[in-house]
Amino acid sequence: MYAALLSNRYLTSRVIPLIAVGAVALCVALVIIVVSVMSGFLDMLKASGRTLIGDVVVSSGIGGIPNYDEWLADLRTLPEVEAATPVIDTLGLLRMPYPSGPSKEIAPVQVWAIEPESFAKVTAYGEKVWWRPPADEAARDAMLPDDPRLRMDASILRDGLTLSQGATGKPGIVLGMHVSVGNARQSDGSYRPRFGWFMPGEQVTLTVVPVSETGKISEPRDATFPIVNEVFSGVYDVDKSRVFIPLAQGQELLRLDAAPLYDTTAEPDAEGNLPLLGTAPARVTKVLIRAKPGTSALDARDAVEASWDAFVAKAARRNDRLGRPPERVSILTWEQQLRDLIGPVEKEREMMRILFSIIYIVCAGLILSIFWSIVIEKTRDIGILRSVGASRLGILWIFLRYGLAIGVVGSLAGVGIAWVVVDNINLIHEAIGRDAPRAAWITTAAVATLSLGLALRALIWRGRLLPGLLWTIATITFAIVTVTLIGHRGTLIWDPSVYYFSTIPSKVDWFNAAITAIGGIVFSVIGAAIPAAKAADVDPVEALRYG
Amino acid sequence: MADASTAHAGDPSVGATRTGGPPLASTKPPILAARDVHRTYRFGQVEVPVLRGASISIAPGEWVAILGQSGSGKSTLMHLLGGLDRPDAGRGTVEFEGGPVSLGAGRSLDRYRNRDVGFVFQFYHLLPELTVLENACLPGLVGGFFGHARAAAARRRAQELLEIAGLSHRLRHRPAELSGGERQRVAIARALVNGPRVLLADEPTGNLDATTGASILDLIASQHAQGLTVAMVTHDAAVAARAQRVVHLRDGQVVDG
Repeated sequence: MYAALLSNRYLTSRVIPLIAVGAVALCVALVIIVVSVMSGFLDMLKASGRTLIGDVVVSSGIGGIPNYDEWLADLRTLPEVEAATPVIDTLGLLRMPYPSGPSKEIAPVQVWAIEPESFAKVTAYGEKVWWRPPADEAARDAMLPDDPRLRMDASILRDGLTLSQGATGKPGIVLGMHVSVGNARQSDGSYRPRFGWFMPGEQVTLTVVPVSETGKISEPRDATFPIVNEVFSGVYDVDKSRVFIPLAQGQELLRLDAAPLYDTTAEPDAEGNLPLLGTAPARVTKVLIRAKPGTSALDARDAVEASWDAFVAKAARRNDRLGRPPERVSILTWEQQLRDLIGPVEKEREMMRILFSIIYIVCAGLILSIFWSIVIEKTRDIGILRSVGASRLGILWIFLRYGLAIGVVGSLAGVGIAWVVVDNINLIHEAIGRDAPRAAWITTAAVATLSLGLALRALIWRGRLLPGLLWTIATITFAIVTVTLIGHRGTLIWDPSVYYFSTIPSKVDWFNAAITAIGGIVFSVIGAAIPAAKAADVDPVEALRYG
Repeated sequence: MADASTAHAGDPSVGATRTGGPPLASTKPPILAARDVHRTYRFGQVEVPVLRGASISIAPGEWVAILGQSGSGKSTLMHLLGGLDRPDAGRGTVEFEGGPVSLGAGRSLDRYRNRDVGFVFQFYHLLPELTVLENACLPGLVGGFFGHARAAAARRRAQELLEIAGLSHRLRHRPAELSGGERQRVAIARALVNGPRVLLADEPTGNLDATTGASILDLIASQHAQGLTVAMVTHDAAVAARAQRVVHLRDGQVVDG
């Protein structure tokens, strides 16, 4: 009871414990902010990665998966599967429309030939097609006045979603946002055409190299497509290299379409034709699957694996020489597929957590030294308390409670600070990104001048060193802030034209915040424990005599 | 070595004067006694014997003054009597109501200091962060986590005592806002709040002017009149004269009493 009274009084009647509270608050806030932003970044990375491949990815070798339609029909009946879509994944060269003149730039690209309709059911392709008119008034108001999307109609979006040029009916191509150099990312994360090149409507020539089932390379083949839209996934590696064409065109270019197969070993007939063996079925190299809501990607993968085995067994029974499925396919969840991308960021987050947790030790050390000096200063009080019957445990408890109070108040304040900062991190970032308003540096300059006046008054007229020194420090601090503000020219720390994401993640990771706050409290108590034990060991007679 | 239990009250040889209070009962067993206590302090390699077999016996309701020069061991004897310190191992005992005090474990010594005796010091020793009322309540708050009822009782008792001490208008003040005499009155209220049998006062007027000192002694005398046993250490014979009996301490030994 007296412990509560005394630790509360010690806390509220002095400045030093407030410094300890501030230190704990800042440490806790720092850890929460950094880990929240990192976790948010990781979540965004995962979400973005997942948006373009669905939950489970089945990849075969160059030969592809024949009779994929049949398997897709099987897959779509599985209770774990929401949707499935066939894809051909290959490499190609894109002859860009720029620069003007006969010689054009060539970009290496990863070509995905897709069935746009089912692809949009498996992935978030439909939402990621970039050029489209604003969906509603709110979206319109949010755009900057020079955003080209404000002047677009629904046809460009339709073309992007169907991979065909509505006006001519030609199959079209959709480019990743950074495949061309024509798009300049703005500070709000939107895009403007650069160098006068607005891609949709331009023509590009795609060159691919068909490879036979046995790995034999055929003559490169090319086709010209009108660009019908561009897609922005948010993952730079994808946006930099991926292009989408319709599946039928992809199969044709890569000779993966259904084709009659002739027996080249036989003698040609009278008209010079070889005997027809049959029709080789069309193939794809990938099947992407979306799991039913509530089904984990791992469960979906297991179901897909079982379905694949059944499909292979069925083909074996049929003894279909032309449509034999490949012996091996890789069946991976999206997370396994994107391991290379996600893994390092996860490790980075853990590293950050560990590195920043060292701050706790600093915190504990700070509290230890503050409490040590308080115990020395309060030695006489300890003697008095012992003289009225306080036990050693009681004295120990006063200081542990004191440390606990500092930890709790500091940690709660830290969580509060972190919440405000993380919640407004984009606003803060934008404010840093702008030139400092004149009012800001005029205010700090005025405060600096005032501090200078007070420093001079203290030093010259009053001859007081401590207030003189404190006001001098304030003057120098505000002078530096003023100069920094005057010189500040809108630096964007998180430049959306450079980073994957246009906004900084702004969601507090509450689980992590709770762990961090508990850590702050525990280390505050640890910091207080040593001085508290010293206090409990104080000899009351010595304390009363010399304290 | 004189045995205090055989001493008689108001011995004219030590010049003590009666100031009132209940009649002395020297035939009663002592409430507090030190028997042949030794206490040696160590300062590095040097051993300084402060008490060398001091004995004193205080009867219930008695007011005894322990008079001695600076360094004679008065305060050390007081600390031993109050259970703040212990005699050297195996060299003397302190007894309260016939039972040993110094053999008690830590917790029972804490309880002894909290319930059975009350200390008043020369330098008041109030806690600067607490108000007058809180300082006076302090022993009532010490001793148990669940003592809300006890705390309320201590608060009432502290208020009564502070009123007797003439400080009812100062309850919410901090010690720094009080005069020396007022601080000592708060210290006396604090010493008495748990209703101890014995008040141990270590130079209670040593830091005060004569008038204020006299008023403090009056306050102690009024409590003594109600049956409180008082042991008071002083180097001032005039102050000692307020007690019923005076014992002299010289070179770590009680030379009379």
